[in-house]
Amino acid sequence: MVSEKPEGQGCLINKVIANGLCVRCGACVGLCPYFNYYNGEVVVIDQCHSDNSRCLQLCPLAEYEATTPLYQTKVKEAPDIAIGTLHEIFLARARDRELRAKGQYGGAVSALLIYALENGLIKGAVMTDKGDDLAPKGMLVRNRDQVIACSGSRYSGSAALSELNMCLKTGMDQLGVVGLPCQMEALARMRRMIPNGVAISQRIALKIGLFCTWAIDYRGFSTLLNTRGIDIKAEGYDIPPPPADVFRVKNKTGHDDFSLSDIRPLIQKGCSLCQDMTAQWADISIGTAEEKPGWNTIIVRTSVGAEIIRKALADNFLERDHFSKKGLDHLNAAAANKRLKGIKAKRDLDRSHQ
Amino acid sequence: MPLNLIITGVGGQGNVLASQILGRTAVRHGFKVTIGETFGLSQRGGPVMSHICISETKNYSPIIPPNMAHIILGLEPLEGIRIINEFGNPETTYIVNSRPIHPLNVIAGEVEYPDPEWIRDVLAQAGRTLFWLDAAQLAMDLGGPIMLNMIMVGALCALPGFPVNGDQIKEILPEIFSKKAIEANLKAIDVGGGLITENEN
Amino acid sequence: MTIIIKKKESLELLQGNEAIARGALEGGVRFCSGYPGNPSSEIIDTLAKAAHSLSIYVEWSVNEKVALEAATAASFAGLRSIVCMKQNGVNVVSDFLTNLTLSGTKGGIVLVSCDDPSGISSTNEEDARPFATLTDIPLLEPATPQEALEMTRWAVELSEEIQNVVMLRSVSRLSHTRSNVHMKNLPDFNTKACFDISTAFHTFPVVDKHKARDAKLVKASQIFEESPFNRYVGHSRPELLVITSGCASNYVVDAVGILGLKDRVGILKLGTTSPLPVKLLTRYLSTCNRILFAEEIDPFLEKEIKSLAGDLAKEIGLKEFMGKASGHIPSCGELSPGHLMEVLGNLFNISWKKDEYREKISGLIKDAIPPREFGFCPGCPHRGSYYAIKLALAWDNRQGFVSGDIGCYTLGIWPTGFNQVKSVHAMGSGLGLACGYGKLDQFGFDQPVITVCGDSTFYHSGLPAMVNATFNQADVLLLILDNSATAMTGFQPHPGCGKTAMGNVTDVVDMEGLCRSMGAEVMVADPYEMEKTAEIIYGLLQKRGQRVLILRRKCALVQGREGGFPYKVEIDQDLCLGEECGCNRYCTRIFRCSGLVWDNQVGKACIDKIICVGCGICVDICPQGAINKTIK
Repeated sequence: MVSEKPEGQGCLINKVIANGLCVRCGACVGLCPYFNYYNGEVVVIDQCHSDNSRCLQLCPLAEYEATTPLYQTKVKEAPDIAIGTLHEIFLARARDRELRAKGQYGGAVSALLIYALENGLIKGAVMTDKGDDLAPKGMLVRNRDQVIACSGSRYSGSAALSELNMCLKTGMDQLGVVGLPCQMEALARMRRMIPNGVAISQRIALKIGLFCTWAIDYRGFSTLLNTRGIDIKAEGYDIPPPPADVFRVKNKTGHDDFSLSDIRPLIQKGCSLCQDMTAQWADISIGTAEEKPGWNTIIVRTSVGAEIIRKALADNFLERDHFSKKGLDHLNAAAANKRLKGIKAKRDLDRSHQ
Repeated sequence: MPLNLIITGVGGQGNVLASQILGRTAVRHGFKVTIGETFGLSQRGGPVMSHICISETKNYSPIIPPNMAHIILGLEPLEGIRIINEFGNPETTYIVNSRPIHPLNVIAGEVEYPDPEWIRDVLAQAGRTLFWLDAAQLAMDLGGPIMLNMIMVGALCALPGFPVNGDQIKEILPEIFSKKAIEANLKAIDVGGGLITENEN
Repeated sequence: MTIIIKKKESLELLQGNEAIARGALEGGVRFCSGYPGNPSSEIIDTLAKAAHSLSIYVEWSVNEKVALEAATAASFAGLRSIVCMKQNGVNVVSDFLTNLTLSGTKGGIVLVSCDDPSGISSTNEEDARPFATLTDIPLLEPATPQEALEMTRWAVELSEEIQNVVMLRSVSRLSHTRSNVHMKNLPDFNTKACFDISTAFHTFPVVDKHKARDAKLVKASQIFEESPFNRYVGHSRPELLVITSGCASNYVVDAVGILGLKDRVGILKLGTTSPLPVKLLTRYLSTCNRILFAEEIDPFLEKEIKSLAGDLAKEIGLKEFMGKASGHIPSCGELSPGHLMEVLGNLFNISWKKDEYREKISGLIKDAIPPREFGFCPGCPHRGSYYAIKLALAWDNRQGFVSGDIGCYTLGIWPTGFNQVKSVHAMGSGLGLACGYGKLDQFGFDQPVITVCGDSTFYHSGLPAMVNATFNQADVLLLILDNSATAMTGFQPHPGCGKTAMGNVTDVVDMEGLCRSMGAEVMVADPYEMEKTAEIIYGLLQKRGQRVLILRRKCALVQGREGGFPYKVEIDQDLCLGEECGCNRYCTRIFRCSGLVWDNQVGKACIDKIICVGCGICVDICPQGAINKTIK
């Protein structure tokens, strides 16, 4: 599919979509009728002839120069290492047992959101639902039950930013967003977007980024499930740490394991270009804590993030623990590894296009 | 010498009915009439033309020969101007409704609809006389866009030397229209005739 | 009411098709059948209206083949009949016709083919006349509505005399032309239908029947020698002899008149064009050595007469033939007076073109006149259907496409239907193609195919393909666009409508039931609900086997006559984004309904109150919610 117009949406189509690089972050969906997200795919519905296209400005794969984020905002000075700028890094988990059970690892994401909602720090949060007959998609949540219903990692691109765009369009403010590193980058680009990037970004009060190595194509995964005769609705997903070589799909009665070698072909092509394992553009980045099962690693990056964490800890919503030097080295190594892989993949891609 | 008349417009404007009414009236009053028409797929928004040849002696072919139209009645301005090159000549009389119906590619922003004033200007230069009529508004006043074709027929019949007149047309209308519709259509013929006599003064 | 039911003689303005209908009545025809097809539809339409007052039977058959077969039954029972179709219909009847003309007929039966030169309202441009030579039956070509009446009347008698089908061939410019026609008295209709069981109508022994058919043709040829429908006008030894037939002959007459060539060009207008009246032709071919053929569409007369001239060479001498083969007459497209003036002007070195005027006009206009593309009417359900299809195929993201068919929805090949349709051929062919696509998966084919088919088309020829899909286990997704009408041709009833051509109430052939009986999964949806319909289509695209989705919503023109639409639609221009990012005039640029236009002054969308019918479906496509509908 080649667009007629080289600027705007056409450029996005040529660079990203036609090359199969879309990671389904959803930043381009919900701005206009020309993109849709449906059942796990971001698709072009029609071609737009506008020159000044927000989709191109926001797309983390399009590399639009004018919106490329240069620095984190509201950040203290901190050394730039593979995991990005930060205030603080430590381990944490939800105090509430139910949140720990329902959430990923320590349930810290759920706990933070519920805390922020119940204390009026945000009016609503965009999370990703669990999907039913159709793939997971973005969902606006406003209370504890709704947060819990969306808890847990999806490991697939589910265009949650499309839901954010719809909320912003209706004029909502004080929004929270949970997303993958690519989605956090899109939000960072949004600050420099023309028109109104600054004003719109100010209506996003909290950005929680999730650690991510890769995400899979949900439709492909769905087909895999079908061929294995599995049609039980997934309650959650997990990738246990090495040496386990499995992708675990949890359901109400138990779980199904897939060998990672079956899953790797489903990894989104665009993910191979990504250099950001720990969501460097978030206010707070949250991921697994390999050294302490049942806990999360928390990276506080901005003063906005620091403030919410301080309050949540003070009000005993979260509990914290020390993050070991070994853990930090391990995390840095993993993040650096992803960065290098991403750099190499980009070089290979550029060469193949010459 | 036969009178060559072309009625042109967009599918759905009532071109065909107008030509039928003119033709039937002319036959009743002893003329030989041939009406050639294109309709079918054109009815779906495309251009529609009726070629009407009225003669005292014989039936001519259903397509008017190149550049031999004496009168061109345009129910829509773009369609009026579209056929000048092929059928018009310096002696042609033009009667054209001024209100555009935008083609889909104009609506879509792909091409521009020419300025109606420019169309008027070209038509004025292209033939001997131009009657540029705001018939569409009058049609709305009489009940709706479907009244346009009868107003234009009324105008046509008021042209000096036209083989049939408005009264003769009005005699035929009860054969075509139901009791409900007849009043408005009779009035439309008069309204159209009035436009010509007005213009001439 | 129709004028053609007048019992007594009178002079009227009749359309060519009306004249054919009147000719059939004057010829004593009692049984009339056909299938709608532009430019033939008005013949049966008119006869159906006449059936209210006269003792005749008129039907719209499910397709042309059945129409011919049904009319033939009347012929076998001693009644006179007429069957009407467009050129493509003759293709559909051909198998029966080639056999029927061998078995012979009893009551006069006329096959009328209305061809469409230039394919103005057709998928092709095809000359049906070769079917007459293929099946060895007489062929008549009227040039005017008056001749159409007289020839049809005569054709019925001729058919009865030679005991075989007679073909009458018209073209759009004749069928849809109106002119003065003299109607004669109508006969009394009182033949009793009766099949003589001491006779049989079959084709055996084949060779004997073939010889018998040839003999009938010879008889017709002799009758044609004296036919008043073959006319010559001009000098006894012209400089150029034009041999012409049908509507094209009018253009020849016009051109010769305008160029002042009456004394130099002889015009032989043939009305009985197969079998050729050999003696007559020998006479005229002898008068001139330069012969020009003017006919539409194929060089039919040209080839037949050149062949005849070859046989007669010793008698008539060598000739210079001009026509389509020589390039003097265009090989494709319909003719016009201009074409004839061009060739005659060149041959006689007469200049007639208004070049100065044309140059002046071209100079004024340049290329400022945009073409006017075809589009669905405002409120057309097909717009909604194709929009839903577009969404579903985009969401499905597997390069899916649409296999199309014939009807108003054929416009899906153009922007009005979002360019969704990728193939259109003959009636029902979209489904036949689908049977093939549905078996290509073993060759790696992984693109979903959606077949669209109208309700009338479905009954006409879609059913055998459906049976095939079941029988051969093809994965087929069929969308039946049920707008309760055979809309493109003028709203004739079909088996799904519940009413016949003559207006009688009848059983509806249950479309859902038919599809289910073939093992298809059947759903029904409303194409006005575009997003919902898209979701249904998407779901069906993920499945295999035979799936049918009936998209049911009345044709907008029918709805308009039955009370219209409930809404008043307006646009809040304050909400409209116009050309900005976020919209880029989506409604006018993509949705393209003629009731939804662009206000150039302010750069926003607006409703054209004169054209908008108030269906309200555009409300759902505006990303800003700027389009509103309120109950009128």
